[in-house]
Amino acid sequence: MVLAREEFMKLLCDAIRGLAASSILAGLATFGVVGLAQASDNKIALIPGGPHPYFAPWEQAAADAKKDFGIAAVDFKVPQEWKLNLQTELVESLAAQGYTAFGIFPGDAVGINSTMTELKDSSIPSAALAGCAQDPTDAAFCLGTDVYNSAYLGTKELIKAMGGKGAIVHLAGLLVDPNTTLRVKAVETAVGETNGEVTLLQTVADTDAQEAADQKINALLAAQKDEIGGMIATGYIPSVVASKSLRTLGDKRIKFIGIDDDPIVLEAIKDGFVAGTMAQNPYGQGYIGAYVLDLLAGGGCTIKEDATWIETPQTKRFIDSGTLVINADNLTTYKDDLKKVTTDIQSSFKDKYLTCK
Amino acid sequence: MNSLLRRFLMVEWSGILAAIILGSALLAWLSPAFLTEFNIYVMLRSFCVALLVGFAQMVTLAVGQMNISVGALGGLVAVLAGGMMEKLGVPMILAIPAAIAIGALCGLLNGVLTERTGINGFIITLATASAFTGINLGITQSIPFYNMPPGLVAFGSDRFFAFPYLMIAPIIATILLGLFLSRTVPGRHLLAVGGNPHAAELSGISRGRITILAHTLSGTLAACAAILAVAQLGSAQPTIGSDWLLLSFAAPIIGGAALTGGHVSVLGTTLAVILIALIENGMVLAKVDPYWVQFVLGALILAAVWLNRWRAVKTGTD
Repeated sequence: MVLAREEFMKLLCDAIRGLAASSILAGLATFGVVGLAQASDNKIALIPGGPHPYFAPWEQAAADAKKDFGIAAVDFKVPQEWKLNLQTELVESLAAQGYTAFGIFPGDAVGINSTMTELKDSSIPSAALAGCAQDPTDAAFCLGTDVYNSAYLGTKELIKAMGGKGAIVHLAGLLVDPNTTLRVKAVETAVGETNGEVTLLQTVADTDAQEAADQKINALLAAQKDEIGGMIATGYIPSVVASKSLRTLGDKRIKFIGIDDDPIVLEAIKDGFVAGTMAQNPYGQGYIGAYVLDLLAGGGCTIKEDATWIETPQTKRFIDSGTLVINADNLTTYKDDLKKVTTDIQSSFKDKYLTCK
Repeated sequence: MNSLLRRFLMVEWSGILAAIILGSALLAWLSPAFLTEFNIYVMLRSFCVALLVGFAQMVTLAVGQMNISVGALGGLVAVLAGGMMEKLGVPMILAIPAAIAIGALCGLLNGVLTERTGINGFIITLATASAFTGINLGITQSIPFYNMPPGLVAFGSDRFFAFPYLMIAPIIATILLGLFLSRTVPGRHLLAVGGNPHAAELSGISRGRITILAHTLSGTLAACAAILAVAQLGSAQPTIGSDWLLLSFAAPIIGGAALTGGHVSVLGTTLAVILIALIENGMVLAKVDPYWVQFVLGALILAAVWLNRWRAVKTGTD
């Protein structure tokens, strides 16, 4: 408690100092005493579909991109709720305030397109980050997890952990999310490749709210835990809830592959209740997204039409932001691996996907 | 025998009880896992939070009001409790009563605003719901508080055979609420104001005070539900309460509460929550196609309501 108060006071002092310093600088700048050198005067907004812990690394990514690439502003702005109208209102309001490029997670893959078209008509580039907008779209590109591949690789990993045979359950996210359909197909394909050695016992969906997930996953375990050899979660919330449920049950026989790196999942991997989790790269999506949007907004670069894009059912201009399996072996080093993936994509992006003057 | 059956059917919640018995028998026949100790524990555990959520709405319905902020208030209390325990190191024994008191204060705010402004409680709680959610997101930035005291987490997951310890709280709440509404003066006033506000005022009951009392009670119950949800999930998630609204109305209304106020049933609401938990559990056990789960859930709830209505018409208690 004492520590927390000290931390709070320190933060408060830092904030006052920062405020004072920025006020002085702003004042000096107004009178032309100092000019802050920026490589770019673009203002970029990174906008998730709504509040969700998955996007938390975007805030740091925005701050790092601003510093590393000398961009005037890279801001992480979150709509109040997961509603298309709130997201588009936020985008329009920021565009009116002078933001020059947008990295958007399309909560509604089709619905966001009209806003992206409006932006393009105003010469403001936008990109789909972490998830894709459905073609035809005016998003410059889509940088995200190849959800099909991630679910496919995750299922393969699960089958390996189960010794190549048994029955599995798929814990899926929102059914209205088109990515869920892709994930369902990917799991079915991986299961189909085992020639009947592995069977898909059940798909439990709409587990994206904590309490619903808790009820459904525990009911599933209660009903069929002896028949289940493995489980794969392809949504953030079911991944967390299933990790906790397996720990509560004390069951290390059922193999489980989750998604993302929530602390509850990582702790369960450490203690042997979870076999692994499919890491996504939200930091990289925000960081690289801001970098590329800055290049596009400056007018110096345009998208290379004939680049080697990955084609997905949603879009013809997809770039995989990286997927890797986190398990007990790389639990402490996976962040370095993801950082390397981010650096590799960022450093080669200009040559691979852009035409610059 | 016939008269015994008739007397049973005269009871307003007998239709729901019949649906529960029929549903349980069907599920036990369809899935042998239904009657296992762990499955009963899972159902009882999911019933705990839902029951308090149902009660939180029921007490406002009793006075002919609505509390749209039930879930948002619960979410706010959950993150405040979590924040107090994780970030400020407040001991659980102080943090939980403090969080419940905050819930009661939020309810009091709803009641005072409704009463003093004369604006319908629906509009007031719609607005405060947005405000509570905003504070929740402002505090957490949608990142949960993970490090809850082990005692609280154990309370949320430990059990005695099929009996979850979590259930102690809703059992106490049910008894107290039942006694409050049937045996105390303010409890009777609550129903009197809901039944006929004008007559209640002529009898010397302060309508304003009773409305404020109903909202404060609603906030307190929603806060208790939030604490149970934190214990159950093992972390203070900002999404707690996000899907409570529909359930909060469904449970008391299926249980026989009048939307216009004046009539609620603690036992009816309890049975309605059991029925909803049973149906949700049954969906998973019966391996219903995930794309049809919502439809089947809605259809079964409608069927249960219809069964109770049919009973009421047949017995002349309509």
